Parts: sequence; structure tokens; C-alpha cells
Amino acid sequence: MAENSKNHWRSLPRERDNPAVVDAGARDEFPEPPPAGAVQLDRRGFLQAAGFALAGVAATGCQRAPVEKAIPYLVKPVEVTPGRAYHYASTCGACPAGCGLLVKNRDGRPIKLEGDPEHPLSRGGLCAAGQASILGLYDSRRLGAPLIAGREASWEEVDADVTASLDRIEAEGGAVRFLTASIHSPTELASIESFLGRFGDARHIMYEPLSSSAILDAHQRTHGVRILPRYRFDRAKVILGFDADFLGTWISPVEYTAAYRSVRNVDTESNGAESNDTRRAYHVQFESRLSITGGKADRRFRIAPGEAGAALTELASRLAEKARTSFEKGSAPGSSVPSDQLVSLAERLWSAKGQALVVCGAQDVRVQILCNFINHLLDSYGSTIELSPASNQRGDDDQALAELLEEIRDGKVDALFLAGVNPLLDLPLGTDFPEQLGRVPLAVSFAQRNDETSEACRFTCPVPHYLESWGDCEPVAGVVTLQQPCIQPFGNPRPLLESLAAWSGESQSGESKSSYDIVRATWQQRFSGAGEAGDFDAFWKRAIHDGSITVTAAPTASPSEAIIGFKSDAVRAVSAARPIPEGRYALSLYAKPAMLDGTHAYNAWLQELPDPITKIAWDNYVCLSSAAASDLDVHQGDVVSISSPEIKDAVIELPVVLQPGQHDRTAAIALGYGAKASERFAGLGPKWLEKRDTVGPNGRVGVSAARFLQVAGGTLQHSLTTVVIERTARKHLLATTQTHHTIALPEHLAPRGAERREVVEETTLAEQWQRLHSPHAAHQEHHGSLWKQDHEYTGHRWGMAIDLDACTGCSACVIACQVENNIPVVGKDEVSRRRDMHWIRIDRYYSGDDDDLEVAHQPMLCQHCENAPCETVCPVLATVHSEEGLNHQIYNRCVGTRYCANNCPYKVRRFNWFDYAHDDRLENLVLNPDVTVRSRGVMEKCSLCVQRIQEAKIEAKRSGVALTDGSIRTACEQSCPASAIHFGDMNDPGSRLAGLLENPRRYRVLEELNVAPAVNYLKIVRDGKPDKQGAPDHG
Amino acid sequence: MASASSALRPPLIAGEKTPAQVTKDICSVLDSKPTALWWSGFLVSLAFLLLGVVAVTYQVAVGIGTWGLNSTVGWAFDITNFVFWVGIGHAGTLISAVLFLLRQQWRTSVNRAAEAMTIFAVICAGIFPVIHMGRPWLAHWMIPYPNMRGPLWVNFRSPLVWDFFAILTYFTISLTFWYVGMLPDLATIRDRAEPGFRKKLFGVLALGWDGSYRTWIRYETLYKLLAGLGTPLVISVHTIVSWDFATSVIPGWHTTIFPPYFVAGAIFSGMSMVLTLMIVARKTMGLEDYITVGHLEKMAKLTLAVSLMVGLAYLTEVFTALYSGNPYEQFAFANRMFGPLGWAYWIMVTCNVGISQLFWFRQVRTHWGAVFCIAILANVGMWFERFVIIVSSLERDFLPSSWADYTPTSIEVATLLGSFGLFFTCFLLFCRFVPVIAISEVKGVLNVGRRREAPPVISASPQPNPAEGEGVPA
Repeated sequence: MAENSKNHWRSLPRERDNPAVVDAGARDEFPEPPPAGAVQLDRRGFLQAAGFALAGVAATGCQRAPVEKAIPYLVKPVEVTPGRAYHYASTCGACPAGCGLLVKNRDGRPIKLEGDPEHPLSRGGLCAAGQASILGLYDSRRLGAPLIAGREASWEEVDADVTASLDRIEAEGGAVRFLTASIHSPTELASIESFLGRFGDARHIMYEPLSSSAILDAHQRTHGVRILPRYRFDRAKVILGFDADFLGTWISPVEYTAAYRSVRNVDTESNGAESNDTRRAYHVQFESRLSITGGKADRRFRIAPGEAGAALTELASRLAEKARTSFEKGSAPGSSVPSDQLVSLAERLWSAKGQALVVCGAQDVRVQILCNFINHLLDSYGSTIELSPASNQRGDDDQALAELLEEIRDGKVDALFLAGVNPLLDLPLGTDFPEQLGRVPLAVSFAQRNDETSEACRFTCPVPHYLESWGDCEPVAGVVTLQQPCIQPFGNPRPLLESLAAWSGESQSGESKSSYDIVRATWQQRFSGAGEAGDFDAFWKRAIHDGSITVTAAPTASPSEAIIGFKSDAVRAVSAARPIPEGRYALSLYAKPAMLDGTHAYNAWLQELPDPITKIAWDNYVCLSSAAASDLDVHQGDVVSISSPEIKDAVIELPVVLQPGQHDRTAAIALGYGAKASERFAGLGPKWLEKRDTVGPNGRVGVSAARFLQVAGGTLQHSLTTVVIERTARKHLLATTQTHHTIALPEHLAPRGAERREVVEETTLAEQWQRLHSPHAAHQEHHGSLWKQDHEYTGHRWGMAIDLDACTGCSACVIACQVENNIPVVGKDEVSRRRDMHWIRIDRYYSGDDDDLEVAHQPMLCQHCENAPCETVCPVLATVHSEEGLNHQIYNRCVGTRYCANNCPYKVRRFNWFDYAHDDRLENLVLNPDVTVRSRGVMEKCSLCVQRIQEAKIEAKRSGVALTDGSIRTACEQSCPASAIHFGDMNDPGSRLAGLLENPRRYRVLEELNVAPAVNYLKIVRDGKPDKQGAPDHG
Repeated sequence: MASASSALRPPLIAGEKTPAQVTKDICSVLDSKPTALWWSGFLVSLAFLLLGVVAVTYQVAVGIGTWGLNSTVGWAFDITNFVFWVGIGHAGTLISAVLFLLRQQWRTSVNRAAEAMTIFAVICAGIFPVIHMGRPWLAHWMIPYPNMRGPLWVNFRSPLVWDFFAILTYFTISLTFWYVGMLPDLATIRDRAEPGFRKKLFGVLALGWDGSYRTWIRYETLYKLLAGLGTPLVISVHTIVSWDFATSVIPGWHTTIFPPYFVAGAIFSGMSMVLTLMIVARKTMGLEDYITVGHLEKMAKLTLAVSLMVGLAYLTEVFTALYSGNPYEQFAFANRMFGPLGWAYWIMVTCNVGISQLFWFRQVRTHWGAVFCIAILANVGMWFERFVIIVSSLERDFLPSSWADYTPTSIEVATLLGSFGLFFTCFLLFCRFVPVIAISEVKGVLNVGRRREAPPVISASPQPNPAEGEGVPA
């Protein structure tokens, strides 16, 4: 080439051989020549490399790396497509309410729980605890193997030891006790029964820390059968609640919320009419502390915890008069409720005879009998209260529990099995009880985690999470739901059913029964026994597919127990209210909607969920009314010491929270705190210089108040104790997510005429009727704009409507959103710094005074404004408007100036202040693969579940059909037990949402800013207070 | 130029200096070893700077969460410091550019230091927008340049982008202006230096200044042009900074008065800072003859005038809120005055409008100690002004549910102290390495040659005689 300046090539083969061209080609392919060392290897280099490789292989071989099997499907299961979600119907095991579930699985693991809309009780809703219970599945601190005296053992060892002891006890005729939480699984009940059957002295006792035993006892006395009736709020027109937080924590809140909503919705034909018989249900709540139920009531009375009986007595005597039944009222009217109010209430109840419902949460059998009496007078039995089919959601028997505790103390129990209970946490047991429990020759705890009780028992048998095992539920007689495993169990737990089968001698034949076989056998037996028509296999398949199925109720446990007519001889007046000694406060021990009895104390999501009323997370505290606080000269956050002269050595220290609407002589403390399970939260949250710990001085979250429970009169009483409160000099930091409680501005700062911010709008029933029935009802004023619309929205235009009248504040949506959108847990310190990450929060505002408190809950999330203030200020276009009206946040573009959050009038944007921990690899399995896990330094916020929108759109496109209204449901909407949230396409005139936008109650928050939010609200409907203004008219 | 002297007013430079004396006086600081006072000041500043470096490193490594911000209050110390430092810078430009164009010859004694102050203040200011980001390593995304990310451009609607341009322009112009103005003096140092590294360094820095007529002509032209360019920046930079707030929807931020209000405030704080620095310089470096009581008095008068403007702005703001009938606005101001941060508001009013009224009294204006105290307080007040505007508005915006309080963390305090450390470290180094007073300009306002008894050999024009030791190698 050197001698030839131009070298024409003649053919391709020639060209291929031309080294210059070949080199040029290689240059194009590799920006730089391949490194010489990689190709040229001398002997020494080769030996070095080979030696290194060998040593490397040997070194890595030494490590016992976990065996990871990533095997592609050889034969793909029909329903499984990687990347696509599929749902299994199951039943929630978070509490004994037994709500229906659709378990969303992705790539072989459950990632989200959705309420089952077909479920006859829960009707599609799911509470916060239920939503959060999926975290328990991926809890790396669950027991993986059985423990014998704290040491890991094999199931064979446990089986050998336990069966040997059982055989001995059987031979000696020892006492065997089985203590469980309320069980409504027919198979489990039958298994326990048959397991206990071989022993001469055996009992199965159920208890609940949030006991409802008095209701069952009262029905035993009045109706001859110890059952929990099924309350039908959906049939009630007047609802009276006495210390029963039925929308929050009482028995079956999701079921009750859905039913309650159905009679309270003013938009439905039957509730919106003007006449009194078709008006929406009227709800009166008597309570000592403010619950979310009280917050929804039309009329709320503050009463002392022991006062329910007196008020019920008053009512009973009025109603008995009307019913011409004799009732010995007794002398002193002990109720602080004005008698004219009670008179008008009795009037109201009487006029709604047959459609009235009185529920009472008091753990006093006498009071419950009175409540039954009133319901009987009002003809509620058979209409709003069903005894047949009855509810199985509670089966607790506190009398039996008390006897058992006595037996344990006396050393009379030879074998004690505990399943799903943690009495050492939630019962008022003495400090020597663990020792006494240790003296029980055979103490077996069935638990998922090593809790207080398991530690005291010799044997701890891990049971699988309810998403890992087969089971069945019959929350209400005849309503049967199945639990099916959605994933292989983590570790080596064994279902209770299998353990019992193994220990009842059935496995001695060699084969061990699987829980599937056991459950199926139960149903096969019942199916044939009940003489149901058809094929069992078809029935079984349908049951598994649907999750719930209605069957003929099984005959009651013992045929001798038949429901009898009302026995009024048990009815006695509960005369004067229990006096509260001077200088003391009546203690009301209650449950928070998320924490419940403390079963879920391990659950970081629930711990971080602000209480719907106090808006405080990560703690329990003593709630006092402001009058009580000023008497004691304490302020919010001051630590007080609480002791009771009635209970020896019970002293706890808790911070004070001032709670509007609380009875002045009442101190309220939440149960379920101070659990050993919460020790895991030590050190939770981002670690930095000024970090404060999530756990308290006791190393746990909150303090257990269980010592103040009392077993008295055969029931576990929550509000019997009176306490002395003394201030200490210390302060406690409370993690509060809302520090300003009213929409009214501070008095000294409020501009005249604008003392109240119209953030939560309200209307009255009267106004609502007027609007509905006037010809121009639906007309709304539309202000035109001088400006051209920035966005045309030619296709979809997503929006939302939230019915504030429906919202109870239960916060199920908050957890649903947290699960769906991979929202991190940040710990108490971060929450106290007002850096909680929840994309949807429930704002809670008070109005009125303590005696006539009105509560408003307002779910607040990104409003997806049309003229979004956040969009204009972002310097890097990390937040932009979509053609479909969504305000997108682009995490990987965000540089974190926080200008968008500053400029957001709703303050719904959440910033990643730190890299929030995702260290727990097992726990990371709960992350939704459709949603990015955000890194440090970026802004995030509600996306209106854009991943669900996309999924539905893709599905619609794939199947070639148009998107239908309702095919997209956001996580919050799906979970809401009250159906308060409606997502939809505002451009679709036929959509549910479009209808709601025409609702006269519709408004938008901060409309005057003209940011034009896509999230609409429907006004709260207040009763209009006829009692307050015109009490004499009703008298 | 107008005559710098008059029988009615005292000379601008005291002590009957000759031009050679001026050179010697000012350069002697650079020639001698630093004093113990300088060292102690420098070490303290450096310690604060290091504290700031540690704090910022920690914050960048761990996260913005180490600041006391929350979901409601997204900006606090960071942007307060930013606006504060940008504001400080304004006096430098005002003195060097605006007063130059207005032929205020007394500026010559203070303009060099004031310009230096501007540069360092803008450096301090520039740090905060970067470190306040959640991901400061992506700060370059704020720059619109052709890129491989799409290309993805910045959001030209965002005031933060305008800010970026404003600050960058400001810094560039200020730096150029400062440097160009320093050229004759750099040449002087070069000429006085012994052969060696220093001479070479200043030779390069002086850009071949030869003191010729042509050089002077070009220098004067360029200087005037830069002054002309700098003047609008006095208005524009802080106007744009104020838009960060004014274009938002937050009550207390969304205010049309902000641009002039911010500019006045900026000049006020800058003047105070110049006063502070000048008093320190004249005391510690023996420059009483150059920075005379007359200078202080003039600055004090200017400060008083701006203080009144600031006061007017405060009143207007309150009036607007009352008159607007907008309840959010009204509440924002009631809250600002009597809410949780009310104490900060009253510090602001007292320091910025109240105490500076003492400048009406000549005794106060001419007493360096009093002037110093008032200037320091004015700086405190101006810092609080920004803090009050930013934090009190964010703390209490529309929805009462999201109202939250803000408390700074140690990291934020350390970062603020660090910014002062950086500023004073830079300033003290500046005092050691370049003439703190513009030698060539001061010579122009000497009375030399203007009085009959003065030696006729010295030119009255600002162009120095080569014999005076400028421009000609020694």
C-alpha cells in the first residue's frame, strides 16, 4: 500500500483479507484495541491466572451461601404469568372479624391484600390492621423452628416430648386446658375438641383482651344461649352506642362500617327523603372518650365509664312505660345526661321500633342485660339483631378465663396450650405469673413470634401466617370463608391443625395429616351431614374460588341450648352510676383502630399509623380532658405517673395528651402497647447525629396498661379501675402528625370574618333535602376563565371524589396506600419531626366544645391540580402534568429542591430526607414491583395509583375493549370500608365519578386559589341539631 | 471629574498624603508579616470554615434530614442564608458601580473591599442552593445545556432557574469588575516586589499593565462599561431572588412588593456589612486616614436612607395585607407578627428600622463604635428578615392540619457559622494579598496638585504620573 496511493479493491473476498480494512472495521467495533494482556498470555501469567481462579473458586466454596433456586417454569401454571398479578380469595386473619380478602400475588408471592367485594360481611373493605397484616408474612423475626425451653428443636423432638407428656397426663387424668383467642374456624374448633376429647378433665377457653364476654353472658341470661348476636346496622334507623367503638375497634368494624354507611348515605333514595321514616339513620353515641364512632354520631354525650348502666336504666324505664312492661327503675337517677335528652331519645327510639339498635361495649353483664332489654322492648331482636344465625366473631368467656388463671395459680393445670394469645402481655397478671406458668408441667405456646407468653412456656410451636396455610372461617353462622396458602411457608412452621393431629394419636399410624386434608374433611363431613345437594368437589372448588360461600348454619354446639324468648327476670336496674372517688379518675382502657389488642405490635406500619383521633403515632399515652389537665396542672407531653389504690404495685408512667370530647373524670389509655414484639424497633429509622430512639426507656413502644384491667363479676373489665394521677417533672416527646386541631385559626391571629378556614365544608340534612328537591338542585355555579385552558384532556381525565360524610377516619386507606406504594417506615423521631411519609393522610378537625364536639375527618392526598403550583416551580421538570390530568412525579429527574412542596397549598408532598432502610431482604418481598422504591433526596407523593391505571389500560388495550368505569380502583378506594373514595374518569359522563361531581355536596378544597384540583370532596352532612335547638318540641 | 476638594468639606483622605505615601501605606500591609490580630482572626474564621465543611460533608453524606426541615417547612436556614448572602453582596455592586456612575468620589476608599465582599458573599450564597438540594450531585441539571438526557431541558418557568442565571451573571460581572479594577494596583505590587515568585505571580495577574496612557484609557472605558453592566444587576439579582417567593402561592410569599422590598433590604444589609468590615479594617490595619470618619458618616447616612425604605416596605406589606381583604394574607401577617415566630419579626423590625434611626444623630454617625454596633445589629436583623419571610410563611399556610414548627439542628447552625467562616477567611486572605483600598483610585481623590502650595510636578488628573511608581518598573 505504501507505494500505491490509491488501492482499489476488486472483490469482497479481497476486501475481507485487506488488513487495513479489517483493522478499520475492528476500530469501528472497539473504540480502542483490545488490551494486549487479555490475548497474549505467557506461561507465567497463565499459571498466575489459573492459580488465582482456583483459589477464588475454593475460597467462595468455603462459604455456605444460601441456596438460591431460580428455576424457570418447566410447565408454567396456567394462571401464573410473570409480571402479572393474580388474586386468590382468602380470609383475613388479623382479627376474629373474618373479613374477605383477595390476595394479590405477583411472581409467586402475595404483595397486597384487597377486600373481597363479594364477601357478605366486609363487602370489599379491609381495615388498617388487615391491610398491614401482610407485613407479618415477611417478618424475618418470625419463628422458623419450634423451641424447647428457648432452644431450637425439630418437630420430631417436640412431638415426642409432647405426646409422652400427654400420654402421661391422660393416664393420670390430669387437667388439660386449651386457651385461645376467639376462633370461628369450624375445623379448628373441631380439632381442638377432638384433641381434648381423650382427656378426662379438659377445657377449651377463649378470651379476647378486648373482651366482649359480657354480651355473650347477657344473652345467656336473657335468651338462654351464650352467643354473640349479629348486629345488623344496615337495618337500623336509630342507632344508639354506649362505649362501643363499632366503626373502629368493636368486634367487626369493617362489617359494621359498611352496614352503617348503607343507612347513613344521604344520596341513596331510601335515606335522602324528607319524611322521618325514611330519613337516614340517626346515631347517638354515649362514650367516655372520643372514638371515631363518636366522631360520626349525630349526637354525642360524654359520660363517665361507669355511667352507661344508669343512662340505660333511664332509657329502659321510659321505654318500658311505652311498652307497658314493668321495670323497676330504682330510686336515684344516676346519669349525668340531661333527662330531657333521654326522654327525647326514648321517643325517637320508640318511633323507630323494629328499626332501632342499641349496642353497648360495657363489660358489665348487668348493663348488657339492660341493653338486651331495651333491644327487646324495641323489637330489635329478629330485625337489627340476629340471634340466628349468630356471630362467631367472639367466643370469649371471661368467667372461664378467670377460673383458668386461678387453676394455674393453684398449680392445678397439667397441660396448657396457648394459641394466638399472649396473656402475659394483655391480661392483668401478677409479676409472678410467668413463674407459675413455668410450673405447668406441659406448657405449649402456638405463636408466630417469640412473645412474652412463649418465653414462659417450655414448648413454642411456630404456626404459619394465615397467608401460608389452609384454614376455614365461619364468622357468622352459615357464612363460610376459606383461607388458602398463597406462598410456601417461610421457615418450618406447622399449622395448629397439623400439630393437634400429630398429638392426638392420629399420626401414630405413620402418615401425618396435612391441614388441607383436615379442612377438606371437615367440610366433606358437614356437606354430607347437612344433606346439601350436589357434588362436594364442585362445592369445594367454588368455595375456594369465591373465598366465601353461604351454607346452612351448622346446628348449635349442643342441641340443648336453644334460643328461648326474652327472659326478663334477669333484668335489673343498674341504679346509680359508679362513683369516682375524689381525686381519682375513672380509667378507660381502649383499643386504637390500628393497634387493637397489641397482636400487631410487631407491625411497623401500624405503629407508625397516626391514631385517627389523637394523630399520634408510636406511643400510647393517657388522654385527659382539658379540664382534667388543668386540674392536675399538666400539659400535653408531660409525663404523669398513674397508679391505682385498687391494684397493688401497678404504677405506670405515660405522657399526657389533651383530648377534646373526653369526660372530665376519665383517663383513657390505649391497650396493646409495651409489647415485647416492639423491642425490634429500637434503633429504627435513619441514623444521624440528633436521632432520637423510637422505643421508650423500657426498650419498647409505649407502656402496657394491662395491669389496670380487672377481672370482676365474671368479665374482664376495661373501665372499672379508678386511678390516681400525679405529675412528674419529665416531658415526653410525642410523635404527632397534626398539631393544630381545628380549622379555626388561633383567636388572637384570626382576621375578622375569617376565623374558620373553609377547608372542610358541612351541610345539614335539611339543606340537603332542600337542594335535592328544589328544581335547580343540581345546578352549580361555574366561573368562566379568561384564560385558555392549559390542558385539553381529550382522552381520559382522572379524578377522585371523597365523601367526607362517609369517611370515619379509620385510616385503612393510609395503610393500603403504604403497602401499594412502597412507602417507607421512618420511625418515631422522624414522625415527631413532621416527616411522616404517608401519601394520604387523614386530617382531623374539631369544632364545637367538649360537650358538643364535632369531628371532621378529611383524607388529604395529592389533589392533582390542573393548574398545579408544584409544576411551575420545579427547575428540572421533575413534576409534570399528564394528558390525563395526573400530576406526575419523576423520581429519577428530581434533584430535591423541595420548592414544589413549599408551593403546594395542600402540603401533600413527601420528601425522602434520608435513605430509608430497606435492609431486611425478606421484608423487601412485600414491595410492590410496579412501584419504584424512592431513593434519598427525591420528592414523592400520591400518584393516584398510576401503576393501577396503566395496568388496567394495558389490559383493556390487550383485550381490545374500552376501559370500563370501576375497572381501576386505587388502593385507598379499594380498602375503604365506608366506600368514601371514588376514583374515575371525569371525562366519562356515565361514570360514577361524573355523577358525584354533580352532587350538590361536591366542593373542592381551596377552590379560591384556582389550582383546580382533580380531587373533589363531598360535604359532611350534619343532622342540624334538632335536639339542641328544639329539645322541648321533642319532649 | 468633579473636584474632590472644597473649602467647605474636609478632604476625603486625611493626613495630607502624597501619592507615594498612599502606595506605601496600603502596600505595607502586604509587605509585612501578618499581625497577631490577623492570625487570631484568620484562625477563628478558618475554624468556623472547617466546622462548616464538616457539617456540609456530613449533610451531603447522610441526607437533608440532618436539617430541621419537615414536610411543611421545606426551606429554612438554607434559603435564608442564601438570600442573606446574596443581599450582602449588593452593597459592593452599589458602591462600586452605582456610586461610580454617580461620581461619588468617597467611594474610592471602600469600593475595593466592598467588591471583594460581594465576591465572597456571592460565593457563600452560591453554596446554599447547591447543598440545599436533596441530590446536590445532580446540581448541574439546573443548567440548560445540550445533553444526552433526551435532551432534557430545565423548566424555564421556574424561578429557581432564573435564580441560577441571575446569580451566575452577578458573580461573573462582579468578579470581572473587581479584577479589572484591581489591575493598576496589581501592577503596583508587581513593581514593588523583589524579583521572584511574587513578582512573577503579580506580573501575570496584572495582565501586562504598563501604565501607559492607552492602557489607562482602555481601563477607564472598560471600567465604566462594567459599571454600567453592574448597575442593573443591583436591581435585577435581588428582584429575581425575590421571585422565588413572589411567584409562589403561599401567603406571605405571594407578594408583588417583594422585588423593591428585597432590593432595599439587600442594599441595607450590604451597607451594614461594608460598614462592619471597614471599621474592622481601619482599626486593625491602621487605615484611619483612608477610611475616615467622614466615610463612615456617609455610609451611615446611606444606611439610614435604605433603612427607611425597608421600613416603608414593611409598612406597605402590612397595609397590603389589611387592604387586600384576603384572609390568608391577613392571617399570614398577623401570624408573622404575633404568631410563634413573632419574636423574630420584632427582632427584624427593631434591628432594621428601629435602631438605625439613631443615625439621624451626627454623634452616632461619627462614633465608630456606635456605627459598628448598629451595623452588626442591622445584619442580624436582615438575616431574621429572610428567616421570618421564609419560615413563618411556610409554617402556617393554608391547611391548619399541616401547620408545623421548625427548629434548626446543630448541622444547620454549623453550616451558617461555616458560611461566615468562609466569608471571613476569604476576606482576611484578601486583606493580606491584594490592596484592600484601591490605590490608584484613592490617588485620584487626593488633594495633591489642587492646592497652590502643592508641588506642581504632580498631575491633578486621576492618571498617575509614571514617576509615582506606577506602571514603570522600579
